[in-house]
Amino acid sequence: MKARVRATVGVAALGLVLAACGSTDAEDEPTTTETEGPSGSISIAVTDPGQLTPGRQTVAYDFSMAVFAPLTFIDDASEMTYVAAESVESEDATTWTITLREGWTFHDGTPVTAQSYVDAWNTVAYGPNAFENSGQLANVVGYEDLNTESDPATEMSGLEVVDESTFTVTLAGPDSQFPLQVSQAQTAMYPMPEVAFEDLEAYDRQPIGNGAFVMVGEYVENDPIELEAYPEYQGPAPTISAMTLVPYSDTGTAYTDVLAGNLDVASLPPDRTAQAESDFGDRIYAFEAPGIAFLGIPLADERYQDIRVRQAISMAIDRETINEVIYGGLYEPATAFTPAIAPGTPVGICGELCEYHPEDAKDLLDEAGGFEGTIDIYYPGGIGLDEMYAAIANNLRQNLEVEAVATPSTDWAEFYETRLNGDAPGPFFSRWGALYPSQQNTLRVFFVENGGCTNCIPWYDDEVAELIAEADATVDSDDAASAYAVVQERILEEFPAPPLFFETYSYVTSERVEVLPTSAVGNPLFSQTVLAEDA
Amino acid sequence: MTAAQAVTRRLAELVLVFLGVMFIIYVMVFTLPGDPIMALGGDRPLPENVVAELRSRYHLDEPVWKQYLYYLQGLAQGDLGTNFSGQPVADRLAARWPVTIALALTAWGIELVIGVGLGLYAGLRRGRVGDRVVLAGTILAASVPVFVVAVSAQLVFGVQLGWFPVAGTTQGWPTAYLLPAACIAVFGLASIARLMRGSVIDTMSSDFVRTLWAKGLTRRQVVGVHVTRNSAIPVLTYLAIDLGYLLGGTVIIEGIFNLPGVGQLLFQAIRAHEGPTVVGVSTALIIVFLVANLVVDLLHTALDPRIRHE
Repeated sequence: MKARVRATVGVAALGLVLAACGSTDAEDEPTTTETEGPSGSISIAVTDPGQLTPGRQTVAYDFSMAVFAPLTFIDDASEMTYVAAESVESEDATTWTITLREGWTFHDGTPVTAQSYVDAWNTVAYGPNAFENSGQLANVVGYEDLNTESDPATEMSGLEVVDESTFTVTLAGPDSQFPLQVSQAQTAMYPMPEVAFEDLEAYDRQPIGNGAFVMVGEYVENDPIELEAYPEYQGPAPTISAMTLVPYSDTGTAYTDVLAGNLDVASLPPDRTAQAESDFGDRIYAFEAPGIAFLGIPLADERYQDIRVRQAISMAIDRETINEVIYGGLYEPATAFTPAIAPGTPVGICGELCEYHPEDAKDLLDEAGGFEGTIDIYYPGGIGLDEMYAAIANNLRQNLEVEAVATPSTDWAEFYETRLNGDAPGPFFSRWGALYPSQQNTLRVFFVENGGCTNCIPWYDDEVAELIAEADATVDSDDAASAYAVVQERILEEFPAPPLFFETYSYVTSERVEVLPTSAVGNPLFSQTVLAEDA
Repeated sequence: MTAAQAVTRRLAELVLVFLGVMFIIYVMVFTLPGDPIMALGGDRPLPENVVAELRSRYHLDEPVWKQYLYYLQGLAQGDLGTNFSGQPVADRLAARWPVTIALALTAWGIELVIGVGLGLYAGLRRGRVGDRVVLAGTILAASVPVFVVAVSAQLVFGVQLGWFPVAGTTQGWPTAYLLPAACIAVFGLASIARLMRGSVIDTMSSDFVRTLWAKGLTRRQVVGVHVTRNSAIPVLTYLAIDLGYLLGGTVIIEGIFNLPGVGQLLFQAIRAHEGPTVVGVSTALIIVFLVANLVVDLLHTALDPRIRHE
């Protein structure tokens, strides 16, 4: 597939292209005040963010990653590098020492210190603030004390400032993946300057970060957000000098606007994937993402309790064809229980069970005694999933000769509550996009009770929990990756839910964009966008 | 009854309608399935303590009648409440009204000028080719869904010809508003043209027009003053109702053209189950609708003194 090849080649070619076009851009762009360095700006379609503080945002990842710099960064080959941190180290995987790089400043000129991190994390975790991303810090010792019903503490005992540029984090238990948890998409882990704590509401409208871009002006709902390069930024230099984040309420409209050349980047709406290639040619990017979609199975329903029924359902689904026809080949049929991008994932472990074998599926179902009644697939309506679930229902009906329908909910809120309560009438939508590419995140979220995606796969097994804990306690990262792979062998034995797709996050760009790079979290790395020479 | 009395009585009715409608809307939003706070984080679960804190902050842990009382209490002090991330509804409304008003008035203007013009033209040429063309054209225009019109217009005028922006309000009025306004106007325009045509035909064959001809008035005087004015009464009623509809019912167009107006706000608020926002927007829309009707009633008497307020 063209798009994928281009995305991978793109990053490798980044340096070369940059060298080739950097200087010409400067002449074309009169608004840039600097004579050297990056130039040119891009406009990006976003969902109106509502809240911008990294600890509060739920749909402002692009903003957060531009305005803030993470401690660690994981690139699209899943390699970790340090950004704001000099090192993140631990002997026992429980107490971690974070050493910051020298010379970093916030956009208001104040230095980024160990205290900036500790204060920020305490603010995010403090119960009465009700920050949406506080859960990312739940594993730090003392988190509970900040979230008691009455008279909560204000500082987590697990955070300790050693000196100006060093602090330690003590976790409730060993967690080998901690350095990955302080990477770019875990926005609760970003620092905040002193001025933030004086007025959190004002800060939310114009966050001051430590990242490559400064927010210009205050946030006004539905108005474009302007970002400008921060000249004092100490991390990898951006290749562009400005970004505009334009809120769109309809992703289809953003798509059309990129087509018209009024906008540079938009995500590709699911219902446009089939036409995207004729509209955009090779200006489509399908980024491998740490997301995976399962078909959740209501295991409390006794008709699904025989493993052969679940296996039959899995083998009756034609993932390849669904991917080609509905998603224009941009997705990837899943062959394991964690996304392939997570290091150490035993790709292919699912074997025949994740392949399309309609006859075997029917035989297996007959062997299990058939299926009584209707398989009623339940999914959230209004987010472009209708074709996919209708196709799965068709697969099941034709190949298993059972009654199968796909029913959408009225909206996300209804679906979410129904699934949370375990009330889905049949197999259901079940996906997770991890914020860092470790098998741990996906395994924990789906297979540990209260791990995150509650009832996404309603099967909580003691052995799985033990195996995950063992892997968490493995300090060496390669050994840990193998240990998580062992967990998947156990999951395969019970096959609680058929994996459907490894997700890709897809984008389309205008002709002004030569290369749109990505990172391990699957969204574009906008700060390193390479603009076309004549843009 | 004088006009002043009529207005007073209508306004008194309005207050009752408001209180009832507001409560119904509030309860409807409250009973939507699904928990708005839990859904705030998308598919990422919010920690329990965050959910509990936000619930109590927005009184969602109390029964609906109590929430409604809190809302009314705030309303009495001029506070329209906030959404679930703490933004005041009044500010949001204030930011969005100008967009919707500009859009609605532009569309209305297009409907008025072209609709009435076409109707008059067709009515005066009854049965001739021009009339047939207008009739066929308006049937076609009225039967194509607004969604299809909008998306096609976007592709043709925005992407291929590049005459208008595809979306957004950054280019300001009129450039950014003409295309979406024209798309909404298509349906109303067709209805107005047909209504006007029928009305003109009726009026032309009425006794007083024959008298006017007999008096020797010029065509210009008969048609330009008397026929147009008398034919306009039914059309005017439609136009007023349509303005109310335009000011509130442009959800689809505002969505497709990414115009941050009131319709879009209402749509987003319903999806997010934000009671205060939904009620605030709906109330504002009801006011607009009722006031538009009131104005029409008053205009009727101005156009045709035979119509009296009873």
